[in-house]
Amino acid sequence: MNPEEIQGIFFAECDESLQAAEAGLAACQAGTHDSETINAIFRAVHSIKGGAGAFGFEALQGYTHVFETLLSDVRDGTVALTAPLVDLLLRALDTLSDHVSAARGEGDTPADARLLAELEAAQARNAGAAPAVVAEEPAPTSAPVATPASSGAIAMGDDDNAVAVDLDSLLDSLTDDFAPAPAAEPAEAPEWLVHVRPHAGAMTNGGEPVLLLRELARLGGRCVQVDCGAVPALDLLDWRTGYLGWTFAMPGSVDEAEVRDVFDFVGDDCGVAIGADAAMPAVRQAAPAAPAAPPVASAPAAEAVTPVPAQPGAPASEQAQSAANTPAPPAPPVAGQSIRIDLVKLDRLIDTVGELVIAQAMLAQRLSNENVTAIEELGMLETLTRDIQESAMAIRAQPIGSVFSRVPRILRELAATTGKHVRLEVSGESTELDKTVIEKLGEPLTHLIRNAVDHGIESAEERVAAGKPAEGTVSLSAEHRSGRIHIRIADDGKGIDQKRVLAKAIEKGIVAPDAQLTREEIDHLIFAPGFSTAEQVSNISGRGVGMDVVRQSVKDLGGRITIESEQGKGTAFILTLPLTLAISEGMIINVGDQSLVVPLANVVESLRPGAGDVKGLGVGRQMLNVRGKFLPILPLHDLVGAAGEPASPENGVLVVVETEAAGQAALLVDGISDQRQFVIKSLETHYRSMEGVAGATILGDGCVALILDVDSLVANAAMTLLRQPLRDAA
Amino acid sequence: MTKTTRVLTVDDSASMRALLNHALTTHGFDVAQADDGQSALEWLQLNEVDVVITDINMPRLDGFGLIEALRNGTRHRDRPILVLTTESSDEKKNRARQMGATGWIVKPFDATKLVAAVRRVSH
Repeated sequence: MNPEEIQGIFFAECDESLQAAEAGLAACQAGTHDSETINAIFRAVHSIKGGAGAFGFEALQGYTHVFETLLSDVRDGTVALTAPLVDLLLRALDTLSDHVSAARGEGDTPADARLLAELEAAQARNAGAAPAVVAEEPAPTSAPVATPASSGAIAMGDDDNAVAVDLDSLLDSLTDDFAPAPAAEPAEAPEWLVHVRPHAGAMTNGGEPVLLLRELARLGGRCVQVDCGAVPALDLLDWRTGYLGWTFAMPGSVDEAEVRDVFDFVGDDCGVAIGADAAMPAVRQAAPAAPAAPPVASAPAAEAVTPVPAQPGAPASEQAQSAANTPAPPAPPVAGQSIRIDLVKLDRLIDTVGELVIAQAMLAQRLSNENVTAIEELGMLETLTRDIQESAMAIRAQPIGSVFSRVPRILRELAATTGKHVRLEVSGESTELDKTVIEKLGEPLTHLIRNAVDHGIESAEERVAAGKPAEGTVSLSAEHRSGRIHIRIADDGKGIDQKRVLAKAIEKGIVAPDAQLTREEIDHLIFAPGFSTAEQVSNISGRGVGMDVVRQSVKDLGGRITIESEQGKGTAFILTLPLTLAISEGMIINVGDQSLVVPLANVVESLRPGAGDVKGLGVGRQMLNVRGKFLPILPLHDLVGAAGEPASPENGVLVVVETEAAGQAALLVDGISDQRQFVIKSLETHYRSMEGVAGATILGDGCVALILDVDSLVANAAMTLLRQPLRDAA
Repeated sequence: MTKTTRVLTVDDSASMRALLNHALTTHGFDVAQADDGQSALEWLQLNEVDVVITDINMPRLDGFGLIEALRNGTRHRDRPILVLTTESSDEKKNRARQMGATGWIVKPFDATKLVAAVRRVSH
């Protein structure tokens, strides 16, 4: 794994952390103040900080440090989690999200000075209320011990003829204030001495003094003397005491900081004295009251006699404190077991599964051609193939909550700019759908939410005057329904003003002035390109990206968008999306010499018309009467340019399809041969994109069949041929 | 010939684990990973390791809880354990030591410092 990939993981983690923090803060806002929630928020920010430091994102690291410090105070209970504080933390989280985007290279580093000041002001240690808490945060980047080492190295290389200095006094001055070495070192600095005596503590907690001595040797030190004068007679030997001391002669090129660094871990559990004049640190007798741990190589018998306490060497009070600081026994698992998989590998699996589905269909076709039918094993294979396919899809599936979790932020920003405070209701956030669909859903969803607040929800005054609560409500829901996912974005605002919409559409030349449209059709006019009813183009939703773009992106996902609106009550946008982009359900139809696939999502019903159901309309145009509703009949034969004689409505089959733009229509086909799942292959990657064709697939007999883009096919046909006559007939 | 030093890295952040893994394996260490204290304990019931490197803040069982459990047990009582900390203050270091850590690695770390820290505690 290369560093870029690791960085990729980091950003994925940042997203998860941001979501976790958002969820935690939302819970706080709703009144949950338990320590696990607060700890989860802290951990999320802390985790971003850790990674930011590791990857060198300084702005992000600096920001998260301040954020984390405040959260730490909240967690410790030194700062109370009040509603205004939750609000501040939410704003801080929004900026954190911007910082993460900036680190990712998506956008500028946010201006955070004011927010940082607010965060710092909120901290207990700066409020003056808690004088007992000592500031304890040195900048993690400036490790002072590194300075003398680097300056020493520079001086060495440059100055061969420097004057000799008293090394001991130089080293002493270094220990005084860690200032950079004022003078250069001579070319061959003399050796200097370091005395080491590990005490009992250096042998506990996995420590091993021999390793420290080994490191001195690795730095070039020579052991010149061993002090074993303190070793008592065997019967007086106490294994908890360090009796031996070593003196090492270190080369002049090694500076004291390097040596001190070696003993960093053991602290004062190891006596270290530096310089020829310094004496070997004295033996520290183990206090009889404080039991110490056995040396690393202690005999099992000794362990059996002396039970080792939890924190060897630590006084009882410290033990109690540490027990208090250590979280209680393992909590039940919060997150499931999971692994990370490279998306490329996953896509390869999905592709292969797609091929398997095709191969299975081909096998079935072949057997049926050979008149081998009713084979039990084939049924098993079919079931297994479907199971594998569903499992593979499930791997790519993610809860839609990851998109929904962006919404609170959008609402907060909108509240700040429009002054409209909106309550959010979310349901079905655990509904899963394909990762790609989720990724592409963000933008249209954001736009719909902005639209709902900007155009749907009225101002507080208007709402109160209309007898509604001052605070508007936006509700988001998701659910699985017959193999597709339905996402509903509803507001309790003023609803779509149909008169205005129609007037605007006529003014913009989108519909004819005398056009007779149903209520539903009027509502859907807002999706027309170039349509915008906002009298004042606000920077919220009227940013030149109209609802047509929303519809287009939903359509690109193989989905549809519909509107339910009631004036004065509110508007709901319903997005119907496929669960996956890779495999879909379709009806295989025949026209002339061609087999084509109609996505099942578009199919309403298929029927053979009765004698009186087909009415002629002008030359070569026909309408189908479906239970009193007239639908244009579109001979697919002509639309796709198939060879052979077209079927007539009487001997063919009519497939009633639902479209977004042009309502329902009846496609006239020769026959329906199958209905099954098919693997969608992009036509663009293999050929080029074509109007009216959504993609291609491979049928059971190995033939390639085109998948119809019913929406554009019908819309084009209706636009050119049938729109006006339809009105006349109706 | 010496045996390869085996390090267990415990961190709930996958990127941090990947960084540790990258730095340690390129320096010839054998690396195992766990995503929190609890899974580290489970792993250690079945496996041997020379050094444990653990983050402090983790879900389920945090770093200090892991150290406590190891120091209280018999099998890994004397195992060197390094904690990953973002603080370099003496107070934090003392605390880590009191909790039973052998040493610490201050985040952000570079590969050299990390390897030096691991070598300082491993045989």
